[in-house]
Amino acid sequence: MSYLDLDILSIHKALLEGKTKPSLLCKEALERVKKDTNNAFELVNEEEALRLALKLDEEEVPFDNVFYGIPYVLKDNYSTKGIKTTASSNILNDFVPLYDASVYKLLKEAKAVMVAKASMDELAMGGTGTTSHIGTTYNPYDPKHERMIGGSSSGSAASVSASIVPFAIGSDTGDSVRKPASYAGLVGFKPTWGLISRYGLFSYAPSLDTVAYFTRGVDDARLLLNLLVKHDLNDATSLDVTLEDDESKDEAKNITLLVFKDLDVNLKDEVTKNVYHNLLCKLKEQGITIKEVTFGHDLLAAIYPTYNVISFAEATSNNANLDGVKFGPRPEGKTYQEVMMNARTEGFSNLIKRRFVIGSYVLYKENQKTLFLRAKKVRRKIVERLNELLADADGFISLAAPSIAPKFFEATDKLSDAYVINDNYLAIANFSGGPSITLPIGLKDKMPFAVNVTAKTFDDLKLLRIAKVIEKTTGMKGLSYPEVNKYE
Amino acid sequence: MNNVIYEATIGLEIHVETKSNSKMFSSAPNVYGKKPNTSVLPIDLGMPGTLPTVNKKAVENAIKLSNALHMEIDHTLYFDRKNYFYSDLPKGYQITQNERPIGKNGYLLVKLDGKEVRVDIERLHMEEDTCKQLHYTDFTLLDYNRAGVPLCEIVTLPCIHDAKVARLYVEKIREICVYLDVSDGKMEEGSLRCDVNISIAPKGSEQFGTKVEIKNLNSTANVEKAIAYEIERQKSLIENGEKVRQETRRFDESKMETVLMRVKTDAVDYKYFSEPNILPISLSDKFIEDTISSSYELADVKFERYTQEFKVSEYDALTLLKNRSLALLFDETVETCSYYDLLIHFINGDVLTYVSGMNAIFNLSAKHLGELINLVGEKKISNAQARDIFKQIVKSDESPIDIVKKNDISQISDEATLLTLINRLLDENPTAIQDFKNGKGRAASFLVGQIMKETKGKANPALASKLLNEELKKR
Repeated sequence: MSYLDLDILSIHKALLEGKTKPSLLCKEALERVKKDTNNAFELVNEEEALRLALKLDEEEVPFDNVFYGIPYVLKDNYSTKGIKTTASSNILNDFVPLYDASVYKLLKEAKAVMVAKASMDELAMGGTGTTSHIGTTYNPYDPKHERMIGGSSSGSAASVSASIVPFAIGSDTGDSVRKPASYAGLVGFKPTWGLISRYGLFSYAPSLDTVAYFTRGVDDARLLLNLLVKHDLNDATSLDVTLEDDESKDEAKNITLLVFKDLDVNLKDEVTKNVYHNLLCKLKEQGITIKEVTFGHDLLAAIYPTYNVISFAEATSNNANLDGVKFGPRPEGKTYQEVMMNARTEGFSNLIKRRFVIGSYVLYKENQKTLFLRAKKVRRKIVERLNELLADADGFISLAAPSIAPKFFEATDKLSDAYVINDNYLAIANFSGGPSITLPIGLKDKMPFAVNVTAKTFDDLKLLRIAKVIEKTTGMKGLSYPEVNKYE
Repeated sequence: MNNVIYEATIGLEIHVETKSNSKMFSSAPNVYGKKPNTSVLPIDLGMPGTLPTVNKKAVENAIKLSNALHMEIDHTLYFDRKNYFYSDLPKGYQITQNERPIGKNGYLLVKLDGKEVRVDIERLHMEEDTCKQLHYTDFTLLDYNRAGVPLCEIVTLPCIHDAKVARLYVEKIREICVYLDVSDGKMEEGSLRCDVNISIAPKGSEQFGTKVEIKNLNSTANVEKAIAYEIERQKSLIENGEKVRQETRRFDESKMETVLMRVKTDAVDYKYFSEPNILPISLSDKFIEDTISSSYELADVKFERYTQEFKVSEYDALTLLKNRSLALLFDETVETCSYYDLLIHFINGDVLTYVSGMNAIFNLSAKHLGELINLVGEKKISNAQARDIFKQIVKSDESPIDIVKKNDISQISDEATLLTLINRLLDENPTAIQDFKNGKGRAASFLVGQIMKETKGKANPALASKLLNEELKKR
């Protein structure tokens, strides 16, 4: 047992009681980073992390700052001044940013210790954890390395799942935190869009991009929310709001969760389905109202293509700055066009290029109306339907993914509802901007699976309260790797 | 064929770099002429993760300009992305206002040969400037100080048919920018840039001819010259049975002709879409009203005031209004001085000469200028004396009244004193009288000179001259 296997609050308690020190935690985390077998890291921040941790040793641990001396991992698409940041893309090889992302700054101010930068699907695009320029990230639950961890926040998920750190920052544009959380047995939380500053987060699709993170429990997710929600003048979409929740004594009472019949109808895995249904029964027993409603099949089926059109379009524009002229590797070329073309040809993988081609295509004048603008309209319709249904409820629940983490070469029917809808519906929370949380409810073949609950915008605290009820019911807080921990 | 009368159709796009402390979407200082790449933040280089924030001052400038151009002002700000790859474009897109410009449907009246001509303005929108490229034979240098500088683009309808009107319009826009203090409007420094779209077609034809764009016009005179040249060029092409190509040309000042830059093939698809990093910003009525009411007075309004209220001549008013800082000096001085004609002449003459000679800012207080002109108006000092005192007060910050007292400067305007002196001089100079009678004009000048000499320059020259003439006639 190591303190690193625990959650943030428990580690903080140990620090307060003098049972461990920031430098010990940091050294151990660094040790684990170096021993990592899941290809989860872009960079080990060894020197700086140790220097900071040793300094923290000298001061008294403040009782009101739970992040003091806590090691963590940052996804490699957050700008870190003086520390190489590549977003796992060759086009940013050796790129060293000149400024700190707001999230990183807040964590620094809280004296949390960043021990490594996590690998990810290139430029946060992709949901498999296989497209980083350093190769595939593996799922710590599967030592045979046959099953994916999901992405794009693959390294962040792996680092918490493998008990290297108690929390990791990811980013969520479609489901990039909430999906890997399902495959890695973690709490994955995406707060309301606009609550946490995106300044310094490398843009993929700004209207959907959200700072999101992995923890081992719901309490930790709430602690991070308290820390990171802060109005930021550097981000014009950052909101100046105070979150509120009417916390009654009975946490479960007066809560209504929706189940979308036309969503759950496609769930075919009997094991995961049974555990999920069991959970619903137990939640009912505790006083939570579960209401079955129909969302609308066509709208559900439209989430995935709508997400693709909008996010690819925004992505092609956001990544147009990567042209080899100002930073990143500068290839040879006789003209500026040649330099740009060579930089982008060499710098991006095929998956990225495919997305840019589609993104450009839907933005062309002759296609905008039928593709891009229509997708925006459909997005609005989906959100309207969601808001309509949530008007009398507190959230909706379903399995975060149809089953456990798929194998790398598993055949999936990409036209089936099970894939189009159930494997991709989580983007609905990016459309609405509302908070959405994934948390584990069971294991199958020693692999975790999870539910997701999505709520109305700014109901973040209520959602965490609901998640807490679920966590208590499943007893799966801090599930993750300690069960099978190989670290000694 | 030769009898066909062609009419040119001209549209103008003017880019104005507006004044503000920081850039359009970046908090880097908005400065001109600084060492290259010293006013640059990560966002100006398009670094990953940076986000735009809207500059309030730039919005106020755009509102003031829109109002001066009689435009409808949008109460919600929307920004769009214009996507294209170019070496001077750091982000790979420019943030601009495509769908909803802040100002639309405006106009300006310009005066051509005494007649007012209306120029319709389609839109005014805000956007950010690109970085500056310095081209050398085998490399190009990039200066990102300019990247992100706030711009207002003002686009007319294709409604101008005359090169002179085009020039007057650009001059008027520049004047408005300068009087509102939203831009220094220097074409030679690129803070006001003008692109011309021009086509010709037989007069009365409903269809436009092929449009040619002229870029890089660095003075209003060149706007007129380039258009005039281009009209003739296109005319002779058509008359020779050739076609006008759709192309971009620039004006070569040394040859006084337009030169081909590139032939336009398919129009570039800029893949515009709404800027997701800036949500629509609603502007309150109060904000817009306050912005407009805090606008500085335009030259046209001043002109009315000067000619109506102060009764100065149109010529004098127009001369003064060519220089905003002198007009402001005039405005401040009339608060303590009501010899309007004397004042405006003095400013248009001595002060202007002084300022032009210095080619710099000068520190002349309106209070002292008012005192000085009042002394002239009250006939206590002569113009020549005023000129001498002026030279002192721009340097020493001394009050003209004090200078007059200290140096015992005064003017003899007492008729009796002057008559005594004149008659004595006439008695002493009979030849001069004879010369005068014989029609030699110089005789009078000689006598005035003698009067000034005797009085050490203190005689009121106009009065002395008048009295002398009267006395001469009596003899």
